[in-house]
Amino acid sequence: MRSTFLLLPLLFTGLAATDAALAQSFAIKAGAILYQPHSKTDGVRGIGIPPGADIDVGSATTAMLIGEVQFTPNTSVELVLGVPPRVKAKGTGTVAFLGDDVLSAKNVAPTLLFNYTFGEPGQKLRPYIGAGVNYTRFTGIRSRLAPQVSMTDSVGPVVQAGLSLQLAPNWGLFTSVARLEVKTEVVAVASSVLRTTVDFRPVTYSLGTWYRF
Amino acid sequence: MPMAHRSWKPALAGALVALLLAACGGGGGDVPGTTPPAGAPTTPGAFRAVVSFGDSLSDTGTYAPATSLAGNGQAPYLGGKFTNNGATSTVWVENIAVRLGIALTPHEVGFGGASAKCPAAANPALASSCTAYGQGGARVTDPNGIGKSSGFLTVPVKTQIANHVARFGSFKDSDLVLVWAGANDVFTQFAVFGAAAGQVQANAAAGRITADEANNQLLAAQLAAQEAMKQAALELTGYVKTEILARGARYVAVLDLPDIVDTPFGATVAPAAQPVLRALSETFNLWLAEGLAGQPVRIASMYALNKAVKASPGTYGLTNGTVPVCDVERIRALTAGRITDGTSLFCNGTPGVPFNTLRTGADVNTWQFADGVHPSTGGHKVISDEVLRLLRSFGWL
Repeated sequence: MRSTFLLLPLLFTGLAATDAALAQSFAIKAGAILYQPHSKTDGVRGIGIPPGADIDVGSATTAMLIGEVQFTPNTSVELVLGVPPRVKAKGTGTVAFLGDDVLSAKNVAPTLLFNYTFGEPGQKLRPYIGAGVNYTRFTGIRSRLAPQVSMTDSVGPVVQAGLSLQLAPNWGLFTSVARLEVKTEVVAVASSVLRTTVDFRPVTYSLGTWYRF
Repeated sequence: MPMAHRSWKPALAGALVALLLAACGGGGGDVPGTTPPAGAPTTPGAFRAVVSFGDSLSDTGTYAPATSLAGNGQAPYLGGKFTNNGATSTVWVENIAVRLGIALTPHEVGFGGASAKCPAAANPALASSCTAYGQGGARVTDPNGIGKSSGFLTVPVKTQIANHVARFGSFKDSDLVLVWAGANDVFTQFAVFGAAAGQVQANAAAGRITADEANNQLLAAQLAAQEAMKQAALELTGYVKTEILARGARYVAVLDLPDIVDTPFGATVAPAAQPVLRALSETFNLWLAEGLAGQPVRIASMYALNKAVKASPGTYGLTNGTVPVCDVERIRALTAGRITDGTSLFCNGTPGVPFNTLRTGADVNTWQFADGVHPSTGGHKVISDEVLRLLRSFGWL
């Protein structure tokens, strides 16, 4: 995780610095993001676990910061970073009695997107679409049922659609919705070994302001 | 402009590759129970001793004096092994010793306050034959095994190994070491779970706790029992490593536990509790495998054997896997009401003798069980046939 954190700003500075001549502008966006999973698992398996045991991942909201480098009037690349939210899962199926928070982790999920923005610079309202890659790493994993839990990292595609509203020459508002592919294999070790694969199938909803340098 | 375009692409690609590499680094790792043992011998042993540690399944007659026909602790004995006793009724370790041409006798014989170590040594030719340490009721570590308060010795496996070291100094290349323990830990933990579950159900029935609270408490009791089985397995593998392998043993086979739900006793367990009983053996087996990961031993799976037998008894020459050959009422009558649970320790299958306690029509060779949990002569043969098959597959025979 540490290496990722070091790497992303490097990439970011690299983009900003080496292409300064090319880049028409550089923007910072800040706002809130709602992470709304529609999770599916292949069931929770392990010794002593009743058939039909399952978990369901809840939603989380957090603050986010985006750096965006624009290359042409219509193309840009943005790096989305969020304050890692704690995402909690509750027991469902035959273990619904376990209630909320049987497993939780902080999702560190930097996302890199290539955007195409419609219209012309200076236009008040500009829709945009993007595609890219999300990397999710799970940290601070906790379960009251198992002292030792591991969750594999996830790398998956992302698509998004957004709308940018210009309020002044160099700042405005934006909103976007994105669909990510985030999958992890969970291995929990207690008196037995419990395993499941969680497909988060998250949709994120973002809202914030942008400032263009 | 084109130059600049080219300049960011490699940087970006490099960053993505680094991201992907970072992604591969996390997770996975060592999942308990998935690393097999390694480094056991692959060539035949020149065996001169069968050294067996365990419980009633491997007991070659520790408690025979308790079954004295005269009631004075002296031979002749009615029973003594946890199977349908008789002149031709051998348990699995005896069958293996016979196959290897090695004499095998109980390490300790007695009951109540009185016991003798290595009674076979009265005959000098058998001085080193008393390497069958298994005792009915014995647990892995706890000296208070099942039946201890009724006079059973229940020397735990930990002490059984120490007794071997005390008498013979160390293990030898010519020892075939067989370890099969943990079943009495299952019974003990299942009883603890059962008591807790009964209390929870009473509280739920009386409305003192909600259904969800009851389910949570039942799960907690189950997990506590599983935790105890994990501990027992890791203790046993610890002894295998530090007390058996480290003291020179080369040919060491460890047997895992069958699913006790598949015994006649298991069939009488409430359906809701059967998965818990099953989980206790499975938890033990998981940590047995984990504790022996990378160790120079071989694991012989009795769990797999019993599942195969249950699925296809005929393949193993069995016709009945549900009804014990020993008759509870006949044992009760023969022991003047002292033995009420039908334990096969007091069962005798000798045809025609007045102390025969078999169920009418029972066949000790084709019916699998002697009592609720212990194999008949035929059941023991299925076990020893499988262990011998595995020993051959290891290259040890």
